[in-house]
Amino acid sequence: MKRVYVILVWLGIALLGAGAFGKIAFDRGEPLNATWFVVAAVCCYLLAYRLYSAFVAAKVLALDDTRATPSERHDDGRDFVPTNKWVLFGHHFAAIAGPGPLVGPTLAAQFGYLPGTLWLIAGAAFAGCVQDFVILFCSIRRDGKSLGQMAREEVSERGGFISQIAVLAIMTILLAVVGLVVVNALKSSPWATFTLAMTIPIALLLGLYLRFVRPGRVLEASVMGVALVLFVVVAGQWVADSPSWSRVFTLSGVALAFAIIVYGFAASALPVWLLLAPRDYLSAFIKAGAIFTLAAGILFVRPQVLMPPLTRFIDGTGPVFAGKIFPFCFITIACGAISGFHSLISSGTTPKMILRESHARFIGYGAMLLESFVGVMAMVAACAMPPGIYFAINSPPSIVGGAGDAAVATISGWGYPLQAQTMTELAHKVGELTLWNRAGGAPSLAVGMAQIFSNTIGGERLLSIWYHFAIMFEALFILTVLDAGTRVGRFMVQDLGGRVWKPFGRTGWMPGILLSSAIIVALWGYFLYQGVVDPLGGINSLWPLFGISNQLLAAVALVVATTILMKMGRLRWIWVTLLPMAWLVVITMTASYQKIFDANPRVGFLAYANVLAGQIAAGKIPAEKIAETHRLIFNQRLDAAVTGALAAMILVLIVEALAQWYSILSRRKEPVLHESPYVATRWAANFSGAAHGDD
Amino acid sequence: MRKTAKTTWRFLRRFWRGLREWSGDAAYESYLRSKGTQSGSGRTLTPAEFYVEQLNRRYSRPNRCC
Repeated sequence: MKRVYVILVWLGIALLGAGAFGKIAFDRGEPLNATWFVVAAVCCYLLAYRLYSAFVAAKVLALDDTRATPSERHDDGRDFVPTNKWVLFGHHFAAIAGPGPLVGPTLAAQFGYLPGTLWLIAGAAFAGCVQDFVILFCSIRRDGKSLGQMAREEVSERGGFISQIAVLAIMTILLAVVGLVVVNALKSSPWATFTLAMTIPIALLLGLYLRFVRPGRVLEASVMGVALVLFVVVAGQWVADSPSWSRVFTLSGVALAFAIIVYGFAASALPVWLLLAPRDYLSAFIKAGAIFTLAAGILFVRPQVLMPPLTRFIDGTGPVFAGKIFPFCFITIACGAISGFHSLISSGTTPKMILRESHARFIGYGAMLLESFVGVMAMVAACAMPPGIYFAINSPPSIVGGAGDAAVATISGWGYPLQAQTMTELAHKVGELTLWNRAGGAPSLAVGMAQIFSNTIGGERLLSIWYHFAIMFEALFILTVLDAGTRVGRFMVQDLGGRVWKPFGRTGWMPGILLSSAIIVALWGYFLYQGVVDPLGGINSLWPLFGISNQLLAAVALVVATTILMKMGRLRWIWVTLLPMAWLVVITMTASYQKIFDANPRVGFLAYANVLAGQIAAGKIPAEKIAETHRLIFNQRLDAAVTGALAAMILVLIVEALAQWYSILSRRKEPVLHESPYVATRWAANFSGAAHGDD
Repeated sequence: MRKTAKTTWRFLRRFWRGLREWSGDAAYESYLRSKGTQSGSGRTLTPAEFYVEQLNRRYSRPNRCC
């Protein structure tokens, strides 16, 4: 009887999800209510978790709870710490959730709500969650080894080196693009700039408190820090209202870019306890709070989705970024559906803390489902504003003809009615000087979030506070990615440099710290500066570059996962990782080819460089702009070279893997699996879990 | 009524414990409880030493994603 009841419940969930999806996909009448998105997403996640992840856990990976995990075997209270699965889920989610699932769907909304939403849900269920889950499992079976180490041992020595270089490349581009998102969010906004600047002294204060006053008392310090941050969000309004202070904090894009570069260097070179770690604590609490509030706000307000399911820009002429729906929708969504970067987390801290193998399903697969849900919420927030406003905020001036009447004419001409007065009033309501041409995704997401928040609490009176809270939330945790990433990048540079000159590899040697910090900051700082001065808005070239590198890293992870499954003798099930890998290779290779060679100068780097060179040759560029144009040409060629190098790396890795697979399948070589030897858990029989709250 | 209060109290205690573990507030206590420390094979770190040491370790590998 119970079994029938369970089947009926799951059947009900399936029917509800199908109905909600049908409504989203085929309804062409009145604007849709956002509740349909939430219902469709949640039903799909429940089904995917209940059915697909259970299948992967039981058949493909054959998780074994009688086997001791690394945290049991090496329990040292430092790296290897047996951790309750809910707590570890929180750790893992906090580590994987970054700006990607917020910014990517916001940018991809230019195609309409449908393609992005479908890919967010399906991509997560069949690709992103599988990658995180399988890599976590592989790392658990190898004492918590990293993706690079697993690639070296299971695929080839060269495969390991390639993945190390790929990680450094993705890190460089990631840091540049997230820096650009912050620059575009803070540009000409004294309120937002002041709020974010104040988080630095607050973090320093917390750092000193946690180091010297109450070592390690993170909760009490974070409560104080969050209260201070909320205070400076409100205080920002006073700064914006004061003519003299407002001038101090009104910065241009270039000035902000340099400020961020200096900050990145400081965060990398200073002791980690002073600035980086306390900022991370603040960011983690505010991130968790803001995501929870957004979910509650969407359920409470149930906003109408005003963006059409598909826009005219699926043909590749989009103002936010150029490129057709295939492959650029997938490249742009990136982290909300699948992120290569997650494989670094899944093969980093999490496998060393997991209590039982079966928890890998909940933590690896489940946390990625939640990240996908964050992406769906970002899509709802972006699509809940009138499309005219969305395009006015996200389009660079070179596409819409600047601000005001010219932009109104362009955007209205696309079929998305807009009035200049609407933009002026909206900017005034959110406490900004202007909302025109604020490309990057963060400002439009903040407007969407602020509208949802203010409809929940405070009404229009609090719209400006909510807007700046949302900007602070986005910028704060983007900077956390930036400073933590710069520091990790510094270690990678030291590791690579140490192979050439030993002292450089010593992580405690000050000249080495300063030089390696300068190198990594210069690498991403150059791309950031390039994005800021790019007349096409920077996001147009850098975000696809980031998407390509991120998805390529995911392909690397899935190549490693497929090889391991093959060696484990799970040939029958390798399609679980092979199909998403093939799909990623197709989209990244297509996108790479188009970004390098497409004849449209807004899409192809080389075409744009040729157009600029042609303009110089034809004497169309004024003499004082020639040097700047030459720099632009160089940047476009550099972007083309970077894209080509990334694509070449994955092709080499695939060839290496194919050779390995061929020798396994043709039985020329006995497959050697580099798993840690089986050790029976001592917890299986008598471990109640009480010590770690595992019930 | 009493049962509900008891259940709520138990839930809140568990939530608090989870929050402390998640935030890192209870990291030093976990370290003291760990097998490695209990075995007494090395010198036990002070709270301040442990705090700095674990931060240096945590932020030397990718721990925040995009």
